[in-house]
Amino acid sequence: MVGQAMIQTGLQLPLPLLISLIGAMATPFIGILSERTGMKLKEAWFVLVSAASLGGVYQLYNMVKAAPDGVLLLYSWGQAPPLSGCLEIDMLGVYMSFSIAFLGLLVSIYSISYMEHETRVAEFYTLVTFMIAGMFGIAFAGDLFTLFVFWELMGLSSYVLVSFLKQNWGPIEAGFKYLLMSATAGAFLLLSMALLYGLTGTLNFGMLANSIRGNPLTPWTVLLFSTLIVGFGVKSAIVPMHTWLPDAHPEAPSPISALLSGVVIETGLYGLTRLLFVVFEPSVFKLPIAALAVLTMTVGNLLALLQGDLKRMLAYSSIAQIGYMLVGLSAGTVYGAQGLFLHVFNHSMMKGLAFLAAGSLIHIGNTRNIEDLKGIGRAMPLTTMGLFVSFMGLGGVPATSGFISKFMLFSSAIEVGMTWLTVIGVLNSALSMAYYLRVIKTLISDPIDSMKGLKEAPKLMVAVTVVMTLVVILFGVWPEPAVSFAESAAEALVNGFNAYIGAIIG
Amino acid sequence: MHSLAKDKEGPRVMYPITFFIVTTALLFVFGLVALTIKRDLVRLLIGIEILFNAANLFFVALSTQHVGMIDPLPQSIVMMALVLDGTVIAVGLALALNVFKHYKTFDIRKLRRLKW
Repeated sequence: MVGQAMIQTGLQLPLPLLISLIGAMATPFIGILSERTGMKLKEAWFVLVSAASLGGVYQLYNMVKAAPDGVLLLYSWGQAPPLSGCLEIDMLGVYMSFSIAFLGLLVSIYSISYMEHETRVAEFYTLVTFMIAGMFGIAFAGDLFTLFVFWELMGLSSYVLVSFLKQNWGPIEAGFKYLLMSATAGAFLLLSMALLYGLTGTLNFGMLANSIRGNPLTPWTVLLFSTLIVGFGVKSAIVPMHTWLPDAHPEAPSPISALLSGVVIETGLYGLTRLLFVVFEPSVFKLPIAALAVLTMTVGNLLALLQGDLKRMLAYSSIAQIGYMLVGLSAGTVYGAQGLFLHVFNHSMMKGLAFLAAGSLIHIGNTRNIEDLKGIGRAMPLTTMGLFVSFMGLGGVPATSGFISKFMLFSSAIEVGMTWLTVIGVLNSALSMAYYLRVIKTLISDPIDSMKGLKEAPKLMVAVTVVMTLVVILFGVWPEPAVSFAESAAEALVNGFNAYIGAIIG
Repeated sequence: MHSLAKDKEGPRVMYPITFFIVTTALLFVFGLVALTIKRDLVRLLIGIEILFNAANLFFVALSTQHVGMIDPLPQSIVMMALVLDGTVIAVGLALALNVFKHYKTFDIRKLRRLKW
């Protein structure tokens, strides 16, 4: 019976997820094959899988656009939703998966050159592909349990990737801290699932949205709210739960730092946003999220000022950027969500670029200390230029893409009458320029002895950073495509609700 | 919680849930206390396992709150969740072994070389 249904309907998986899952599973075999033949098969396979996932996202975009109410409902054999797990893809899911796949492709090209002299490269590629597959799954999930499974897939691969260079003590310590905190958060997420099930009898997003939303708060829903904040907040590094991030992100290999800071923490934020919009009215979570936003950006920026380690400074800056994104969530309007998701994409480009460029500098200069890298910028002009542009973007200077999304985020807070939040945000933004400019000044001043006679990074790494620099500038001067894409994503989240529910209930 | 009990024909048996809620809360407190006061890496992982199992217990207990039936959804979810937290703990133990290689101790308080 089940087998028959399976043959009839087929095992339906959205293309990006299918490609990255199968690709990841095949990578170890390709690794063995490339060792036998001595060709660079596994590198080619890795880039091919990432590129094909991006192509799959494009196909999915067309499918969602053509769908009558903008929602695709996919489930495999067995029961139909709401009784079974399902994948429900709307424009927001496509948007998130586009950010993930785009950064994933760039990082995969970069890591070929970066990981050249490491051992266990095939395992590295497998884990990266699984991590990307996990993030796709989170973006597409149509019920909380599917989300949880992919959440753990992403989490497990990222713990191992953080501590990948296990011959040093740093990555091991950082990885263990990361695992402890994230696994605890996973338990909280499971508890919130149990609470949601107890309150509503279902875990399907469409059914959930139909039950709790709009009802008055009870002690159980308050408990649910706090477990959701803890469960998603640790992965997305909201401030009281951020302490793993400044350890884990610098200690990971640079391509992984770029992925972790660029998309993994944003995927956590996506989960939080989706769940909060599904379960609660925006008026319920407005003030708590605003308070968390203020705390997150202030602490992130202040601690970033104190850092002497380039990657650690970038990690704290990621925390601050999460704070800016929370401003958009706390506004709770379409405009706020649009700013949030635009900033997710822009931040993935800018922070990815910053970590990759910093990775090249560290790769060549062989130290992470900013003072010890003094003057390296003269030997590596293209990479330093990339770092400079990404810093301008992160600080929100006009003509970079960071300006557009920050402008949207902060003006969305004014729109809903939280001017104080905007003021704090803009002040924080100004403060952040202090540490960005300090780094640039150190990098381009007179070189110290150990930084003389160095060459530019390998061509492939430079090419990736140059492409990302161009993207950051392009979406700064011509933001129209990104803005309208983010707008349709935000529309799907906030206003496309009935379609989202209707796809389940029918 | 009680609103779930729909008035249908059939045997009106419903397992009392208060006991399970109290047990879940206690287990959660135990797990969190273990995570805050224990020093041994393996004991910390056991603390995490207690947290996961508390949530799983709550899930299974809630599945009995329908009159006349037991909902299979939470039970299948709990089966899957057990596998997932098993894998997390396995990775954690592997990392703990690597910690021992570098630090020659299982004491979490010695893992303090990364600061600020």
